Amino acid sequence: MTGRGREAEIEGARGGADTFAALREQLLGAAEAFGGDAVSGILAGMVDDVDRALGERLEIFPVCHHSPASALAMARRLREKRPSVIYLELCEDLRPLLDELRNCRLPVALQAFANETAGFPKEWAPLSVVAPITEASAEYQAIAYALDTPGVEIVLVDRSADHVFQWQPDEREQAGPDDEEALHGDAVGVEIGDLRPRFAELEEHLLHHGKVRHWSEWWDQYVEQPLAGADHATYRQVMVLIGSLFRRLAPERGDRDRRDEERERYMWTRMREHLAATGTDPSACLYVCGAAHAAGRVEQFGLDAAGTAYEISPRTETRWQYGLIPSSHSAIEAQFGLARGSVSIAAATFAKQVKRGGVTPFRLKDQPGKGRPLKAGAPDAPGADRLTGFLSTAPEPGGLDEAELLGWCVDIVRLARRNGYLSSTADAIAVFETSVLLAGMRGRSRPTPYDFQDAAVTCIEKDTVPGRRDVRHLCEILLGGDRIGSVGYASLPPLARDVFDRLAPLGLDLEKRTIQRALLDLDASPDLVPCSHLLWTLKRLMPERAVRPIMGSRRLGERSRQESWDLALGQYQRELVELGYEGVTVEQVLERRLRRAVHAPRATAAVALAAVEDALLFLRGRRVADELGARAVELLAAERTVDDAPEVLRRIRRLLTHFRATEPELPAWCGAFVTEGYARYCTLLPTAFTDDDIGVRQVAAMLGFLFGMESLALSLGCDHAQLELAVRQSHPEAPAKAALLWAARSQLGLMSRDELRARCDELIAGPLTVGSFPLYLSGFVQALEPVPTLAPFVVEVLSKAFARLPDQVLLPWLPGLITTLRDHARELVPTLVREAARTFPATLDALDAWTPPWEAPARPAAPSAAAPPGPVTELLAAHPAATDALAGLLGQPLEWRAPSFGDDRAVADLLARYPDTAKALSALTP
Amino acid sequence: MTDMLRAPAEVKYAEELDYLESIDDGPKPFSWRLSPKMVRLFVLGSERADGLDREIPQKWFGDRSFVERSIVTLASDRGLLLIGDPGTGKSWLAELLSAAICRNSTLVVQGTAGTTEDHIKYSWNVSMVIAKGQSRASMIPSPIMTAMEAGVIGRFEELTRSTSDVQDALISILSEKYVSIPELDDDNIVFAKPGFSIIATANSRDRGVNDLSSALKRRFNFVKIPVVTNKRSEEEIVRFRTTELLRRHEIELELPPTLLDVLLQSFADLRTAAASATSDDEKLESALSTAEQIGVLEDAILHSQFFGDRTLRPETLGSSLVGSLARRTPEDLAILNKYWHGVVEPRTKKDGDGTWQGFLEGGRDAIKTLS
Repeated sequence: MTGRGREAEIEGARGGADTFAALREQLLGAAEAFGGDAVSGILAGMVDDVDRALGERLEIFPVCHHSPASALAMARRLREKRPSVIYLELCEDLRPLLDELRNCRLPVALQAFANETAGFPKEWAPLSVVAPITEASAEYQAIAYALDTPGVEIVLVDRSADHVFQWQPDEREQAGPDDEEALHGDAVGVEIGDLRPRFAELEEHLLHHGKVRHWSEWWDQYVEQPLAGADHATYRQVMVLIGSLFRRLAPERGDRDRRDEERERYMWTRMREHLAATGTDPSACLYVCGAAHAAGRVEQFGLDAAGTAYEISPRTETRWQYGLIPSSHSAIEAQFGLARGSVSIAAATFAKQVKRGGVTPFRLKDQPGKGRPLKAGAPDAPGADRLTGFLSTAPEPGGLDEAELLGWCVDIVRLARRNGYLSSTADAIAVFETSVLLAGMRGRSRPTPYDFQDAAVTCIEKDTVPGRRDVRHLCEILLGGDRIGSVGYASLPPLARDVFDRLAPLGLDLEKRTIQRALLDLDASPDLVPCSHLLWTLKRLMPERAVRPIMGSRRLGERSRQESWDLALGQYQRELVELGYEGVTVEQVLERRLRRAVHAPRATAAVALAAVEDALLFLRGRRVADELGARAVELLAAERTVDDAPEVLRRIRRLLTHFRATEPELPAWCGAFVTEGYARYCTLLPTAFTDDDIGVRQVAAMLGFLFGMESLALSLGCDHAQLELAVRQSHPEAPAKAALLWAARSQLGLMSRDELRARCDELIAGPLTVGSFPLYLSGFVQALEPVPTLAPFVVEVLSKAFARLPDQVLLPWLPGLITTLRDHARELVPTLVREAARTFPATLDALDAWTPPWEAPARPAAPSAAAPPGPVTELLAAHPAATDALAGLLGQPLEWRAPSFGDDRAVADLLARYPDTAKALSALTP
Repeated sequence: MTDMLRAPAEVKYAEELDYLESIDDGPKPFSWRLSPKMVRLFVLGSERADGLDREIPQKWFGDRSFVERSIVTLASDRGLLLIGDPGTGKSWLAELLSAAICRNSTLVVQGTAGTTEDHIKYSWNVSMVIAKGQSRASMIPSPIMTAMEAGVIGRFEELTRSTSDVQDALISILSEKYVSIPELDDDNIVFAKPGFSIIATANSRDRGVNDLSSALKRRFNFVKIPVVTNKRSEEEIVRFRTTELLRRHEIELELPPTLLDVLLQSFADLRTAAASATSDDEKLESALSTAEQIGVLEDAILHSQFFGDRTLRPETLGSSLVGSLARRTPEDLAILNKYWHGVVEPRTKKDGDGTWQGFLEGGRDAIKTLS
C-alpha cells in the first residue's frame, strides 16, 4: 500500500474532525457549569490541540523526560511502526556523539563546550550545555533503535548549543553543592520532554490537591501509573492533552513560552528541510518531542502548514567542542529541580515493567549495525477517541504488588541493620503494614515507592541516626540508588586516552570511581619518572582532589625520590574530558593555558613569572619558559603600579637562583627583566615613598629588588647613580616609609649607623614622637628584606622599644607586629631570630651580668699604627685626594704621617733587592 | 461555652466530631470512632474538594505527612512517640488524635522524675485494702490501664523525663497488651481491648537525661516534629492560638498585623542567631518555638488588658519578649541586648509607622530593668 493510500485509510478511520466531538461537547458543558469563557476556551483548545497533533501527517510521538511510561510506549511503538527516520528534539550539533553512546555506561551526558566565546559576553566563558541520557528514557529507546537498525536515520532537529545561549542568556543555573550532584559542573542542562506546570501556583495547587509532596510523585501517581500499560493511541492522546494543558495554563507570553515557540519553528523547519532533501515519505518518520511541543501552536506547525518560512539565525563564531561526560541520577535531579531519588525510582519502575514482560526495550550493542534490517511496520491503528474513556474511568491499580513490597521491606531492614540501626523482622512487618495503611489513607489501592519510603522512615528511624545514612537515604539506595555513569575508553577524547595510556605503568584501574593509591619509587623504577611528570602536570590542571600528592613535592631545584599519590580520575572524569576539549595532550593544554594567562588583559609581570616557573617545572623545555619570560619583561615595562613588587621579587629571585645553579648562563630575558626592573623601580621609587596607596611592603620589595639585583644590573649596563639619585629624591612622610628610607640610605652609605641610632634615640626620648615610634619600627622590620645587614640594628631598636616604650604605646602596636611577622615569617623571622640569638645571652644566669652591646662604653680607640712603608703607601701619599674623600665620607679624621720604615728593615731590604714589582706597580699609576 | 478553663479537644470540638462521625463511611480500624481519613481531615481541616457541608478548620499546622504517619502508626501494632523541641505542638497533636480516634484525650500520664511504675500500671486504695483486702474494687487503675480496658488511646507526656525502669514498664504493655496483677488470685490479668494504643511525647532537648532502652524504642514509631520555620504557617498558628486564647479570657482586643510581623521577624532573627552560635552561652536558653511566641503574645495581651489601655502596643510586646526570653543572667540578657542594638535599632530607621521604634523602646527598658 502506498503512503498516500494508508493516510487516507487512517483519516477515514479517525472520522475526520469529529473524533473528539463528544468529548469536546462534554468539556464545554463542564466549562459552562463552572462558568467563564476562559475555561471553555482552554478546555476546547486542549481538545483541538490533541486533534491537531493526531491529524498531522508526520507522526508526533510526545514524551516526558525520565518517564518509564514514555520509554515503554516508545519501545512498543518502534517495534510496531519501524520508522525509517526519527526526528528527535535534541540539539542538532550533538548528533556525532550519539554513536559514542555504545561505549558508555549510562547515565552519561552529551556535552557541547566552548572555552573561548565569540559573540557572547566574555564573562560567560566557558560555555557548556549538557543533555543527560538515561536508559529509562524514550530518547534512549529511539537512539538505540535507530543506531542498531540498518537503514534507519536519526536526525536531531532542535536548536544548536550555540542557539541555547543565543536565546536564553540568563538561564545559567548553578549545580548543587554535593560532589555527586556537581557532576555536570555549571553547565546549562537541556532535556527532551520537559513537562511541568509553567508557573509555581499551578504546581502548588496540583500538589496540594493531589496530596503529594513533590512534582515527581504527582506525575507518578496521576500520569505515569495510569499510562503504564496504555495502548499507543491512549498514550499519545493523553500526553498531548497534558502538554496542551500546561502550555495553555501559562502566564501570557512569558520568556519561556517565546523560547519554546522559537524552538518549535526551528524543529519544524529542520524537518521540512530534511524531508525535502531526502524525499522520505513522512509516514515512515517519527517525530519524538516533548508533550508540550506536540501541542505547539506556531504557524510553522505541521508539514502542510501555510505559515511563513522561518529563517534560522546563524550561529556565532564560537568554536564548540563536543564530548561525553559521566552523569548520575542525583546530578540530573539537581540540575532539573526534580525530587531526590525520583530518577532512581523511574529507573526502577522501568526495570520492573520490562521484567514483567510485554515489551523488549532497545539497548545499544557494542558493535553498530548488527540489528535486524528494517522491515516495513504495521499500518497505524485507527485513532479513535481514547481520551473520554481515559478521563472518565478510574485508573487500574498501579503501585507495588505484594511480593515486591515484601521484598523491599525485608531488604530495607537488612540494609538498615548494616548501617547501624537495631532493626529486625518485626520492623519489616511493621513497614509492610504501615505502607499499606499509608497508601489507603492517601487514596491509593497499592502503595507506591513513596509510601514505602514514608513507612520505612516511620518504623525504623528513631531519635538518632546511628551511621552516615538515614533511612530515607537507605530507601533511595534500595530503590536503585544513585547510579553514576561512565564514559568508555573508546569514547574519551584523545587527551584522556593519552593520560590513561601514559599512566598504565602504574598498574592501577584508574577508571574506577574509588580513590587509587599510587606508590612511585623513582630511584628503583626510573621508568615511572614520566608517570610522575604527568601526575604533577595533572595536579596543576585538575581540581585538587582529582590528583593529590601524599608524599613528594615539585619545586624548582627539587627532585622527589619517592612519591605517593591519591588518584581519583574516575570520579573526575568530566574534568578530564573537558580538559580534552583544550588540546591533545596535557602538556599542550598547559602550554596554551600559560600562554593565555600571560596574554590576558589583566596579566601582570608576577603572573608571567609564575607561568615561567610552571613551564620550567612541568614542560621542562626552555623554549616556552623563554617565551613567557620575554612576555614578563614586556609586562613589567607596561605596568603602572608596583602592587606586585613583593611577588615579583620573590619569583625572580627564585628563578635567578635556579638558572645560576642549572644553566651555564642566564637566559637573555632574565638580564632584560633585571635591567628593566632596576630602571623602572628607580624611576618609581620617589613616588612610591610618598604615595599613600603604596604600602611599606611594596616599597621594601622595590628596594629589595634594587639592592639585591644591583650587581647583575650594573654588570648589564645600569647606572648606580640612578639608584642613589632616586633615594636622594625620596621624601616620605609616613614614619614607616621614613624608616625604610633611612635603612636604604644607610645601605648606600649616605647615613652612618651612629646617625641612625641617634635619630631613633631621639624619637624614643621625645614625648611628642614616642607615640609614632612603633610605626618607625615597623618600617625597620620591613627593611630587613632589602637591607639584611641591618638585622643587628633592628634587634637593637626592638629591644630598646620593649625596654623604653610606655605600655600604652607598646601594647596596641604588638598585635600589628605579630601579624606582620607572621605574614612574612619565611623572609623576616629567621634573620631576626638568628641575630637575636647572637646578641642576647644564651642562659638566664648570664642575663644578669649582660650589658647590651649598644650600651657598652665605647672602647678608647687604639692608636693607629702608621702604615708600613712601601709602594702602596707611597702611592696613597702621593695621591691623597681619594683617601681623604673616603675618610670624609666615613666621618673619620685622617692624619697623614711621613713614611718611615721603622723596624721593618727586612721588608725594606726585600724591596731593595727585588724592586721590579714595586716599579711595575708604580708604572701602573699615571 | 463550657465552664472549664480549658476544655479537652473532644469537648471543645464535640460538634465537629459528631458531624464527621455521622458522614464517615470509610473503614474504621478496631473500635475507632472515625476512619483514618476523617481523623486526618479533623486535624488538618477540610478543603472545598472534600465536598463537606460545613467547613472543618485546621487545628494543627505542619507537614501533612507527619499527621498521616502518626495516624497510621496508631492503626498498627506500635505505639506512637512524637519527638521534637519544646513548643512544636506535640502534645496538641496527641490530644487531637486521641480526641478524634476515641473521643477521650484525658487518659494522660505525665512523665516526671517522680513518676513510678504505679502511675503506669495500677496502685491500691490503702484504706479499702485494709478494710476489704486486695480486690479489683480496691485497685486504682492508672490512666494507661483504663485506656487498655476501654480500648482507647492512652497518652504519656514527656516520656523521657521519667526514669528508665519506669519507662520499661511500658514494654510489656506495648508487647503483650496486658497487665498482670500478681496480688490477686483470680481476675488478675487486664487485657487491652482492640483500639488501645499509646501516644507518647518526648522532648528532644532532654536527650541523654533518661534515654529510652532499645527494647522500648523498638515498640514505638518515632515521628519527629520540627520547629516551624515557614513564616506563613507560623503566622497561622500564632493567630489561631491567640484567637483561642482571647476567647478563653473573654478579651476583645485587636491584634495588629504589623505587630504580628514584628514578633515573627524577631523570632526568626533570634533563631538564625542561635543556629550560628558556637557555644551554649551564645544562644538563648529558650528553644524559640512557636509556643514561645504564643507565650510572648499572651503575656503582652494580658498586660495590655489589665495594666494598659486595652490596646496592644509595640512597647508592651518588646518588654514581654525580653521578659519571656531572658532566663539566664547575664548570658540571655547579653544576647538580647546585642540583638536590640545590632538588629532592632537599625530596623527602626527603615520603619515607617513607628512599630519597630516602640518595640525598641519597650525592649530596651525591660533589659535595663532586668540587668
